[in-house]
Amino acid sequence: MVERESAADIEADAARWVVRVDRDSENPGLRAELDAWLAGDRRRLGAYVRAEAAWTHMDRASVLAGGEATRDVGTTMIRRRRLVAGFGALAAGLAAAMVAPRLLARRYDTALGEIRRVPMSDGSVAAINTDSKLEIAMRPRLRAVKLERGEAWFAVAKDPERPFVVESGPVRVRAVGTAFSVRKREGGSDVLVTEGVVEVWTRDGEGAPRRVAAGQRLFAKNDGGAPASPMADADLGRKLAWRDGQIVLDGQTLAEAAAEFNRYNDRKIVVADPRLADQRFVGWFRTNDPEGFAEAAATTFNGQVSLGGETIVLRGG
Amino acid sequence: MSEGRARVVAWLGREILPHEASVRAWLRRSFAAAGDVDDILQETYCRLAALTNIDHIDQPRGYFFQAARSVALEQIRRARVVRIETVSEIEALDLALEDPSAERIVSGRRELERVKGLIAALPDRCRRIFEMRKIEGVPQREIARRLGVTEHVVENEAVRGLRAILAAMTEQDAPARSHGTRDREGGEKTDGRTRKRR
Repeated sequence: MVERESAADIEADAARWVVRVDRDSENPGLRAELDAWLAGDRRRLGAYVRAEAAWTHMDRASVLAGGEATRDVGTTMIRRRRLVAGFGALAAGLAAAMVAPRLLARRYDTALGEIRRVPMSDGSVAAINTDSKLEIAMRPRLRAVKLERGEAWFAVAKDPERPFVVESGPVRVRAVGTAFSVRKREGGSDVLVTEGVVEVWTRDGEGAPRRVAAGQRLFAKNDGGAPASPMADADLGRKLAWRDGQIVLDGQTLAEAAAEFNRYNDRKIVVADPRLADQRFVGWFRTNDPEGFAEAAATTFNGQVSLGGETIVLRGG
Repeated sequence: MSEGRARVVAWLGREILPHEASVRAWLRRSFAAAGDVDDILQETYCRLAALTNIDHIDQPRGYFFQAARSVALEQIRRARVVRIETVSEIEALDLALEDPSAERIVSGRRELERVKGLIAALPDRCRRIFEMRKIEGVPQREIARRLGVTEHVVENEAVRGLRAILAAMTEQDAPARSHGTRDREGGEKTDGRTRKRR
């Protein structure tokens, strides 16, 4: 979880934004940056408008001075108005609480062990797995998701006018109406497709996007090299069991299973015996029940479990 | 739309900011246990920013109190542990509204004098920059050229000045906070009046 930003920090940043906008109001890049900043926290818009109100209020000083200065102030006012025209809508959207307006990017963080379902304004649904971070922006011609960490599964509502694109590092996954998951890993991203077809490419990579169809899996490397072919994966349902808070094991080694549980829990499973680590196991567990898994594995393989404060150690018998 | 928004921003500066000190004081009194008063205020401004029309608001001060109250109540309801007293205290809004000593809004010529006074109270270079920008209407780039400093310096000074002015408009003890430093200690303002939250 991201630490909550203090109101004082927001206040300081807001003042800086107001001054930056005053200096460079024609700059579209600045506008985009400001939008992104504002979208990060409701309080930011509040702090921004507060600082802006004080800043604008100071314009009244020019009334006392009069003369040609007034005209100059007038034009900067108009320019600033044009720049901030969109904020009214943004503010209205924010205040209407959770009716995602088009411009608004929403960020989602899940804590360790947390699994979250997020309905989107277009009818799509995201399921966000443990310890993940993503941003969803519903734009007029693009539904843009940025997966910064972790894993998420998307059931995408059909809308050919508005492609749905997931950005995971340099890897891109594009869908029109389909269901798929993306997991950001070291060196690349795992794409699993449960319905329809998606296209996968890498930002700087060469060659045409690769199509991945329902029931297939593709690991897209960050460097774009050696385009892997999508592989049929009969195992998708099992791999996506996390959406229901479950871990399904079907012949995985205890080491793999332990790694899977450790994605969800502070208390980590350590398989201390190498022979045990290679044993294969079948079972169906809650993601938040590593103890239950360890007990079951120990019983099956004649091992022993010692529960520590932060670890669950699995040893041979 | 943009015209409307400019009006709302002007209205906030004229009719709302001057009451922030009383709203803040009231929130601190009746809401000390439940959350960060500055969070509540920012959230409240966020809602006020959503206004597209302000013509129907006869009593900006009362409106500000009501908006802050509804944000505060929501935060209490969201919090897991709710102290009954907190809710009943915060309901006592009428009392705070009637507090005549908090009535600090001034009008017309005096208000303009006050704005000039706020600028005049800034540290030297900061004040000069505000005068050029706000009274003479000189763009920041040109200010930097005239003062022989980088635009970045102008930006920093303007930010510092804006924060000091905001503090002066919304609190009585502005000088304590006019140094442009962030209050990092647990987000508490170091104005010596802040009640410790429980």
